[in-house]
Amino acid sequence: MLAYYFRMALKSLRRNPMLTGLMIGAIAVGVGVCITTLTVYRLMSGNPMADRNDVLYAVTLDSWDPNRAWDPDHPDLPPPELTYRDAQALYDSDIPDRKVMMRKAAFVVEAPPKSGVPPFLVEGRTTTKDFFSMFNVPFKYGSGWDQAAEEASAMVVVLSKKTNDNAFGGANSVGQTLRLDGHDFKVVGVLDEWAPTPKFYDLNNGAFNEIEELFVPYGIGTQFEMQSSGNTNCWRDQTINNFQDFLNSDCVWIQFWVELRDGAKAAQFQEFIDNYVREQKTLGRYERPLNNHLRHPDEWLKVNEAVQDDNRVLVGLSFMFLAVCLLNMIGLLLAKFLGAAPLVGLRRALGASKGAIFRQHLMEVGVIGLGGGLLGIALAALGLWGMRHLYTNYDELTRLDIPMVLTAIGIAVLSGLLAGFYPTWRVCRVQPAAYLKTQ
Amino acid sequence: MELRPILSAMLRNKTGVILVGLQIAITLAVVANSIAIIMTRVEKISRPPGFDSANLIFVQSYGFGPSYDQRSTIDNDLRLLRSLPGVVSAAPISQIPMSGGGSSTNLGAEQTREKVTNNTNHFSVDEHGVEALGVKLVEGRNFTQSEIQYNPDPANSDFVPFVILTKDAAKAIFGTEHAVGKTVYDLSHSAVVIGVIENMLGSWVSSTRVSQVMLTPRLESAPLSRYVVRAEPGRRDALIAEIEQKLSGTNPNRAITYVRPHQYYTDRSYRSDSRMVAFLSVLIGLMITVTALGIVGLASFHVNVRRKQIGTRRAVGARRVDIIRYFMVENWLLTTGGVVVGSILAFAFGQWLSSAYSLPRLPPVYVAGGVIVLWVLGQLAAFLPARRAAAIPPAIATRTV
Repeated sequence: MLAYYFRMALKSLRRNPMLTGLMIGAIAVGVGVCITTLTVYRLMSGNPMADRNDVLYAVTLDSWDPNRAWDPDHPDLPPPELTYRDAQALYDSDIPDRKVMMRKAAFVVEAPPKSGVPPFLVEGRTTTKDFFSMFNVPFKYGSGWDQAAEEASAMVVVLSKKTNDNAFGGANSVGQTLRLDGHDFKVVGVLDEWAPTPKFYDLNNGAFNEIEELFVPYGIGTQFEMQSSGNTNCWRDQTINNFQDFLNSDCVWIQFWVELRDGAKAAQFQEFIDNYVREQKTLGRYERPLNNHLRHPDEWLKVNEAVQDDNRVLVGLSFMFLAVCLLNMIGLLLAKFLGAAPLVGLRRALGASKGAIFRQHLMEVGVIGLGGGLLGIALAALGLWGMRHLYTNYDELTRLDIPMVLTAIGIAVLSGLLAGFYPTWRVCRVQPAAYLKTQ
Repeated sequence: MELRPILSAMLRNKTGVILVGLQIAITLAVVANSIAIIMTRVEKISRPPGFDSANLIFVQSYGFGPSYDQRSTIDNDLRLLRSLPGVVSAAPISQIPMSGGGSSTNLGAEQTREKVTNNTNHFSVDEHGVEALGVKLVEGRNFTQSEIQYNPDPANSDFVPFVILTKDAAKAIFGTEHAVGKTVYDLSHSAVVIGVIENMLGSWVSSTRVSQVMLTPRLESAPLSRYVVRAEPGRRDALIAEIEQKLSGTNPNRAITYVRPHQYYTDRSYRSDSRMVAFLSVLIGLMITVTALGIVGLASFHVNVRRKQIGTRRAVGARRVDIIRYFMVENWLLTTGGVVVGSILAFAFGQWLSSAYSLPRLPPVYVAGGVIVLWVLGQLAAFLPARRAAAIPPAIATRTV
């Protein structure tokens, strides 16, 4: 029976190709526009740590100015980063299963002289060793460094895939030497492709930036007195005359994350940081009310407003556009179905039940929805191609994937059926007698 | 022309009329708000930068290793840059205007917590900075060579004795008083204002204080050094290649990390705005097309179901022009109904946008513009079916199917 309805639907659609084209086109542009904006929105609002969301926490302490909140628009938010000394103090805790403190630093890479490649600057990250295991960072060759290397601030380096491609032509470079800032570093690992979007672990330095190009032990930055190449924010009026003054200052510039395997551990660590801050208060620091947070990645992305307002507005406008397309389609369907009312009258008179007429017309609507959905996917691909040209920093990421394609078809068929319901219902109410008389 | 019969005919096809009316209403709401958003973005993008953006080149050098010397590197680089033919001027600069990265500090006319609140974006330059950027000095004087400060410690936070402010920075700090000769304070230092320049845009293009800028006479400490190079008109791109090639061989202890036109930074900083403009323009175009097709569809449907009625009217004496006018008036009534609802919807939507996303309030002129566009569009869309209706021969009235 379904196959028969399907053939009937196709036949009916072919009878008026202009109208059919218009309806499919309306759904297609509506769906295309919505899927384009939804893909960008989803990309920007994604949680790259969804599978580890329950155990990971970003740590923030409110060490900011007693007279002025970190973000005057959201006075309840502490700064997103820690001071050097507070990070050091929290890192000494044994409570977390894993923990990482880290920050950005720029390095000059010197290729071997015979290569003829001039020295080039890369964005690096100095971090403690758990970074790689906590965030499930994929390795192509080798691995991160161990506890001993961390404690000794050993000159070891993990390269991003891109850096390894540039410096070693993509070969397995583990064990090789790379000259950074005039020192020889031993390569211990090479990452595979990794593009967490948004870059959840450091939202304060470009939420949609690429990952760093190399990673070295945290102690290296201190040992070489390296300036942070990320944002450094200060509030207290402190005279800073040398690097040690800077490390002791109340400037915030260190990102800090912990892994806590269950709620009990989380409560324990929360208590630990609160106690730490209470203790600091007695030393004259932390003059603001107690406001320390452990936030899961999803909450972290939300409070830091990683999704730009523009993207939400675009999604809203796209769905209003889809509504216009659907209203348009309802109008066209109504005209078409009622135009064919005499035929329906005849078929009803010959014994077709109301239900059969209803299902037949709904099938026709479904076919339009499906056609619109498929064409809509093509249009969305075109729209995303356009977006990539306007937004070069996430080239590879604004592409359609299976869930998005399924969403597109879902939206199209659903909205097709929604739009088709009323015209179908109207045509079922056709009185056979009214049309038979005039024939 | 009497409206009564037209209205009662429309009421007989309520559904179709409501559908198209709603389409027009939503279209107006979206188009008016989109145009308002587009206009604010276009205005933002086309602001004059206040410096010679089109001819500027920015260079960054990064020193490394124990034998690197920042001071001599800067001196040598500047000597080389200034000697190149086609270069108007060159200067060291701490940050790149409109790039999204920069430094700012709170300043005030008195050294109290209440007064030191004017967040001012600052750029360190030497005595060539004003000329190299192409900013206009309107009051006071420029820095002299002997006033340029240098401290080799990268963590040093010392202030400078002299500063130049933009007009907006001077106004924010001193109000209407003359700034030149006065002292500005942060919480632990002070400096004398020696000059005022026309406004220039600072580091953060989306900031409300983007034009509150201060120039300070200072060379940055190692390892980074940046230069601004002003090219003669038309020479920029050729100079970029030449600078890259000439500078890269001069010093083994540093890397030239980039030589870029200023255009690179304006494009990058305004990218999300231009994306919004492009996307909304396409959306407006599609929306108007779909709505126009909807109007054509409904009018055609009306013509089709009224063929006999039209023929009868023609047979009893109505002229073609009367038939056309009938459909045009019908469409005008429909559009008018749509835009009345649409105006309410547009303002409601605009209100929501401005409260939820801190976008500026919707100016009524865009709604008015949208109403006119939709009126014209409706008439154009109705004209084809109306002409077809007028072509129906009167003889059709005499045929009984």
